[in-house]
Amino acid sequence: MHQMTEKLLTLWPELVMLIGACACLLVGLSPSASTRKGPAWVAALTLITAAHLVIFSNAFNPDPLHGHGALAVQLDTVSFIKLAIIAVGLLLLMVASQVPDRLRQTIDAEQRAQRGAPFETGDALNGEFFAFFLFSLTGAMLCAGARDLVWLFLALELTSLPTYVMVAIARDRADAQEAAVKYFFLGAMAAAVFLYGFTLIYGATGYTQYDQIITYIHTLTAQGTPVSPLFIAGIVLAIVGVSFKIAAVPMHFYAADVYQGAATPVTAFLAFVPKTAGFIALLGLLSLAAPLGYTQLQPITWLLWTMAVLTMTVGNILGLLQNNVKRVLAYSSIAHSGYMLVGLIAAHAAATHPDAAPAQNALGNGTAALLFYLVAYGLATLGAFAVLGCVTHKGDEAQTFDDIAGLGRRHPMLGAVMLLSVLSLVGLPPMVGFLGKIYLFGSAFQHGFVWLVVIAVLNSAVSAVYYLRIIGACYFSQPNDDTQAIPVPARRIGAAVAALAALALGIAGNQLVDAVNDATITTTDDTQTVPAPTRHVSTNW
Amino acid sequence: MTLFLASDVFSHYAPIGVLILIAAGFGVGNLILTSVIGPHRQGAIKSMVYECGVDPIGSARKRFNVRFYIVAMAFLIFDVEIVFLYPWAVTFSSLGQGSELAPLFLGRMFFFVLTSVIAFAYAWRKGVFRYD
Repeated sequence: MHQMTEKLLTLWPELVMLIGACACLLVGLSPSASTRKGPAWVAALTLITAAHLVIFSNAFNPDPLHGHGALAVQLDTVSFIKLAIIAVGLLLLMVASQVPDRLRQTIDAEQRAQRGAPFETGDALNGEFFAFFLFSLTGAMLCAGARDLVWLFLALELTSLPTYVMVAIARDRADAQEAAVKYFFLGAMAAAVFLYGFTLIYGATGYTQYDQIITYIHTLTAQGTPVSPLFIAGIVLAIVGVSFKIAAVPMHFYAADVYQGAATPVTAFLAFVPKTAGFIALLGLLSLAAPLGYTQLQPITWLLWTMAVLTMTVGNILGLLQNNVKRVLAYSSIAHSGYMLVGLIAAHAAATHPDAAPAQNALGNGTAALLFYLVAYGLATLGAFAVLGCVTHKGDEAQTFDDIAGLGRRHPMLGAVMLLSVLSLVGLPPMVGFLGKIYLFGSAFQHGFVWLVVIAVLNSAVSAVYYLRIIGACYFSQPNDDTQAIPVPARRIGAAVAALAALALGIAGNQLVDAVNDATITTTDDTQTVPAPTRHVSTNW
Repeated sequence: MTLFLASDVFSHYAPIGVLILIAAGFGVGNLILTSVIGPHRQGAIKSMVYECGVDPIGSARKRFNVRFYIVAMAFLIFDVEIVFLYPWAVTFSSLGQGSELAPLFLGRMFFFVLTSVIAFAYAWRKGVFRYD
């Protein structure tokens, strides 16, 4: 029971986020017109407070490795993930600013209120939008701390359910409704799949807590008793179900339609938050099976290997065929899930090899590479979507290559952000995407997945074609006169900050990489101090 | 012997069995009671499938007020609250006098009730309870 109290103490950031979300709901319905604009500020304040609480609670961690005495606060994995979610969340919030304000419904309601009619609260969406924004981020943060299957399920659903509503309300077109309905039903199906997996894991082991499941599997392997096939089936179902959140291959079909239909700032949100939650959930789920050892887990490794290869290949090939930039970026998001699965496989291999020493530097640490790449990808994709969100074409969103033609000449700043973001997505040297890919593929290479790395690098080369098409449209086409920039300063600033951060982290990213690496190492089993070769080639995957 | 074991294992389900019997008895008993002491007046509307619901003749894709859903959702706020309050109230007294967990448990319930109050305030302001 005392454990529960301690657990609750680590949840202050999430509690603050929930309180902030409730405050957004109420502020958005205020009788005063100026207060009704408040929810975005409430959300920003909440995120900043939550970030402070994460750092504060981390500083008082009872673990001596990163406790009071340490000069620099060293983060543990969970705190790092939470901080990353909050930091990218703040940028997403800037990108999402004025989304509900610019809806026809809100504009009409505010105009009627200005003329003296009572404010029609049923038409206000300001509070709801930012409340759901915070709820979803809270879910992703809870995923990071999940050490129980029930907790994980609730956290994943808390991440997803608000996003369905955000897709539906943030754009007044039938496309958005269609996207929301597709997303909702497919999401519900995916939830059923991974929940079924969770029940099988529970049925095979009798526990829902990670620690107990891991101890149970440890005991079984020590006795030489084979684990129930239901357990493996459960892990497989859980992986396949969660792959919906990361838009990986068996569950990727929704991505293009939903990303296209949703309002662009919401698309940026969808491309980062559920994906982060999904990858963190996968890291946790794979840790359950790790005690089984490398040989017994070959089927799981094969599954992940196939998923990674199919995801990046399908994403990149379909990305080549699109004429809509949002769809291109959607397929790019799928392809990037494939790259991140490469890092996940490396993390999985490191966890299952009993002789594996903890990686001394970030190169070779799959978990650190994955977490670092999530941030890198988040910044780049956010910048690209934010630029799309900053321009309109004939009153509607700018979506096609024609719509953004000549953007770089007409609006140099937006063009520059798009250029930097796209270069980062390609993975070219000065940008953070390059560094991220080095770590991802390098860690897989160190664990002997040579073919996987070859395929991933080839895929990156293929993807450059459609990324360069975006740059070509921005800089080398006749400017489109129907495309206009919209006056949302916060969105531009958010886009610019994301692009500059992607550049800065690409040049001086070692700091962050080291932080991630330390974070993942300090929480893994610290008893393994004997240095052993990190490279153990078993097969050429 | 096996039967004895089984009865031993399942004996703590006895209250549920009694509950099922009462529930079934309530349903069947009411049917019997109405057929015995009901007034038996028949008519066109009276003998329809749903006396006071959707007309069973015509297209099934009939439109009805979206407010039904909203009322159902508002009902859920209080329903869920009660569902959580009952087991909490039953176990809270078993914590014992002066338990250091008591403030935590009480605080949690206050937080939970507060969220329902916020939900209620939100629904009120949003116009859920305006039936015009």
